[in-house]
Amino acid sequence: MSRILALVKVDIRNTFSLSTIKNKLKNRESIVHIVIVLIALISLLPTYYFLVSGLSNIFTVYLNVGQKSMFLLTGILLGQMIVLFFGILYVMSKYYFSSDLNILVPLPLRPKEIVGAKFVSLLIYEYLTLLPILLPFIIIYGIKSDVNILYWLYSTIIILFVPVIPLCISSIIVMFFMRYTNIRGKRDLLRTIGYIVLIIALITIQLKLQSIAERAVADEDFLYKLITDSTFLARRLGIVFPPSMWAALSLSDLSSMSGFLYLLLFVIVSILMFFIMLFLSDRVFFKGLIGNLEVSTSRRAARVRERDFQRSSPPYIALAMKEIKMLVRTPVYLMNSIGGVIIVPIVMILPFFMEDEESVNMLRSVLRDSQQIINLIGVAFITFLGIVNSVCSTTFSREGKNMWIQRTLPIKVKDQIVGRVLASIFVQIIGIIILYGSLAYLGALTLEGIFIIGILGILGSIPTGEIGMIVDAYRPMLHWDNPQRAMKQNLNVLINMGLGSLYILGIGLLAYKLLDILDIFIIYIIIALIFILSSLVLYKVLKKVIETTFINLE
Amino acid sequence: MLELKNISKTYGKGEVKAVDNISLEVKPGEIFGFLGPNGAGKTTTIKMIVGLLKPDSGKIFLDNIDVWENPLEAKSKISFVPDTPQVYDKLKGIEYLNFIADIYDIPKDIRQERIEKYLDIFQLKDAIGDIIGSYSHGMRQKLVLISALINDPKLFILDEPMVGLDPRSSFQLKEIMREKCNEGKIVFFSTHVLEVAEKLCDRIAIINKGKIIAAGTMDELRQHSKEKESLENIFLELTENE
Repeated sequence: MSRILALVKVDIRNTFSLSTIKNKLKNRESIVHIVIVLIALISLLPTYYFLVSGLSNIFTVYLNVGQKSMFLLTGILLGQMIVLFFGILYVMSKYYFSSDLNILVPLPLRPKEIVGAKFVSLLIYEYLTLLPILLPFIIIYGIKSDVNILYWLYSTIIILFVPVIPLCISSIIVMFFMRYTNIRGKRDLLRTIGYIVLIIALITIQLKLQSIAERAVADEDFLYKLITDSTFLARRLGIVFPPSMWAALSLSDLSSMSGFLYLLLFVIVSILMFFIMLFLSDRVFFKGLIGNLEVSTSRRAARVRERDFQRSSPPYIALAMKEIKMLVRTPVYLMNSIGGVIIVPIVMILPFFMEDEESVNMLRSVLRDSQQIINLIGVAFITFLGIVNSVCSTTFSREGKNMWIQRTLPIKVKDQIVGRVLASIFVQIIGIIILYGSLAYLGALTLEGIFIIGILGILGSIPTGEIGMIVDAYRPMLHWDNPQRAMKQNLNVLINMGLGSLYILGIGLLAYKLLDILDIFIIYIIIALIFILSSLVLYKVLKKVIETTFINLE
Repeated sequence: MLELKNISKTYGKGEVKAVDNISLEVKPGEIFGFLGPNGAGKTTTIKMIVGLLKPDSGKIFLDNIDVWENPLEAKSKISFVPDTPQVYDKLKGIEYLNFIADIYDIPKDIRQERIEKYLDIFQLKDAIGDIIGSYSHGMRQKLVLISALINDPKLFILDEPMVGLDPRSSFQLKEIMREKCNEGKIVFFSTHVLEVAEKLCDRIAIINKGKIIAAGTMDELRQHSKEKESLENIFLELTENE
C-alpha cells in the first residue's frame, strides 16, 4: 500500500504540475493568464446558475408527489453514470497510453500497485468533475428539507465514495477490453471501433434497464404506493444502478437504522469493488499492456516507392494532412474527436430505438411537419459538434514536445489557421454524415436538409473552431505525458465549450426571433452571413494571438 | 553572415542569467563550434537564433535579416537540429520528410533527389516507410538531420549533433558539414566532443556561465592558454578559471 501511495504522490504532482505552480505564481504574465482563464470560467456561471435553478424546481415537483428521495437518486445516478462513461476513456489512456509506463513497467512493481496508484489519481480527478454536478443536488435537498448535521456527514462520505464503484467498473471493462483486443497489426483500429461499440452498447443497456424499470412502476398499484411509500420511486427506478439507490436511500432514511445500513452497504461494496479490481488487475493488466508499448515495423512496406516522393502540396494542406494523420493514428485522439462525432448523433436517436413502433411513427409524422426547425437544429447541432470534437481547441496542445517543429519552420500564420481548421472540418464531415443517417432513420432527412445542414454546419464550424484555436493558442498545454491530457483533461476544451455555446445560443436565439418575421430562406442567408463575418473577425484575433504566442513561448 | 549583437536572456525573475551579453559573428563558409560545460548557455543561445526563445535584449541577424523582426524570411534560410530528436511519433519517416519539404516548398524532383541522397548516406532507406514511433534514438536523429538538409539551408545549426549517432553516421555528418561549408553555407554547432570541434571547426567559441570566455581559431585559442597542446586542456583551464 505504501508503494501505491508513493506512486500516487508522484502522479498527482505530475498531473497537476504542482511543482511549477509556485514559480507560476511569482511570474506576472502567468498571473494575467490565470486571471483571464478565471474570467473565461466565470462566463460559464450564468449557464450553470440556470441549470441549478432548474434543479430547484425539479426538487419541488418531487416534493409535491411525496418522492423527494427521487431527487437524490437523480443526482447520484447522473454523477455515477458520467463517471462510468467518461471513465472508460480516462482509464484507457491513463492505464495504457501514458508515457510514465515506460518508467513504471521496468520497475519491480506489481501490476496492482501501478493500477492502484493510477486509479487513485484518476479518482481525485473525478472529484473535480463530479462536485459541480453532485453538490447542487445535495445542497438543494439539504436546505429545502431542513436536515440535521448527520445529513451533511453522511453526504460527505457518500460524495467521497460516489465515483469508486463506476470507476472500478470502467477499469475492469477497460482491462478486459485491452486484454482481448491486444492483437498484433490492427490493434488501434480494433480498439477504436470496439470503443465506439462499447459506449453505444453501455448506453443501450442503461436505457433498456430504465424503460423496464419505468414499465414496472406503471404496472403496479401505482398511486397507492406513491402515497404510502416515500421511497417507492427511488427504489423502483434505482434498480438501474443499485449503488446509486443505496446512497440516495441512506440520505433519505437518515433518521432510521436502514439509512445507516444503506450507507454501510454503499461503502463496503465500494471498497470491495476496489479490491476486486486490484485482484483482477494483477491477472490481466500486463497482458493488455505489453505489446501496446511496442510499435510494429513492417519491413515489407518500409521501403518507399517513387510516388512517395512525388506528392507535394501547399503548406496548409500539408499541415492539415499531418493533423488528420496524427488524429487518426493516435487512439486517444481518434476516440475523442471522430469517436465523439460518431457517438453523439447515434446516442441522440437511441431512445427512439427503445420506443415501440407506434410512438416512433407518431414522432416521424411530427418531424415531417417541422422540417425547417429540424434543419436549424441540425445546423446548431453540427456547429456544436465542432466544439465537442475538440480538434481546434487542442490543436496546439496536441503538438506537445513537437511544438519546436512548428516554431522553427517558416510557416505562415495563415497556413497554420487554414490547415488546422481544415482538419476539424474533416472530422465534422464525418459527424454530418452520421447525423444524416440518424435523421434518415427518423424519416426527417430531406434534400433541402442535406444541403442546409451540410453547408451551414460546415460554415458554422469555422468560427467555433477559431474560438477554440484562440483559447488553445493563448494557453497551449504543451507539457503532457499522456495524450489524453492534451485532449480531454485540457481546460481549453471546457473554456471553448462555454464560449462556443454562448455563440451558438446567441445565433439560435436570433434565428428563433426571426422565424415569425422572415422567410426561412432569408434566415438561412442571415445565419450564413453571420458565420462568415464572425469567421473573418475571429481570424484577425486568432492571427494576433498565434503570432504573440509563437514568439513568447519558452 | 550570422551576427549576434549583445544578446542576453534571463530565466525566472532575472535571477538566472542564462546568456549574458553575447556578441558573435560567423561568416559564410565557416564551421563554427560552440563549446561549454553543461548549463553554460549553449542551448539557450541556439534557441534564440532559431526562434524558440526571444532574447531579452540584443539583435540577431542572418544576412542582414533580423531573425526576430522577419521570422519567416529568416526561418526559410535556417535549418535546426535539436539535441533531442523529438518528432511526430505517428507519422511515417517519409511522411515527415514530405511535410517538411512541403513547408519549404521544395519542388518534387529536387526533394526526391535530396531525400534519396541523404537516406543513402545515413542508411535509413529501409526504415523510411515505417512509423517514426518504431525508430531508435539514432534513427530519429538521422531523420531530423535529413529533414534539416532538405531545404539546403543557408545556416545549418545543430545542438549536440553527434550524440546518439553511430560512428559511421557521425563521420558522414562531419563530411556533410564540411561540404556545406565549402558551398559557402554557415554551419553552427554545439558539442561536448572536443576532438570533433578541434578537427572540424574553423573557429570556436567557449561559453561559460552565459558569457563567452574565448573565441577564435584553434591557434588563437592556444595563445589564450598556458596549456597549449590540446583543446581539452584549453577548455579545462579556461572553464576552471571562471
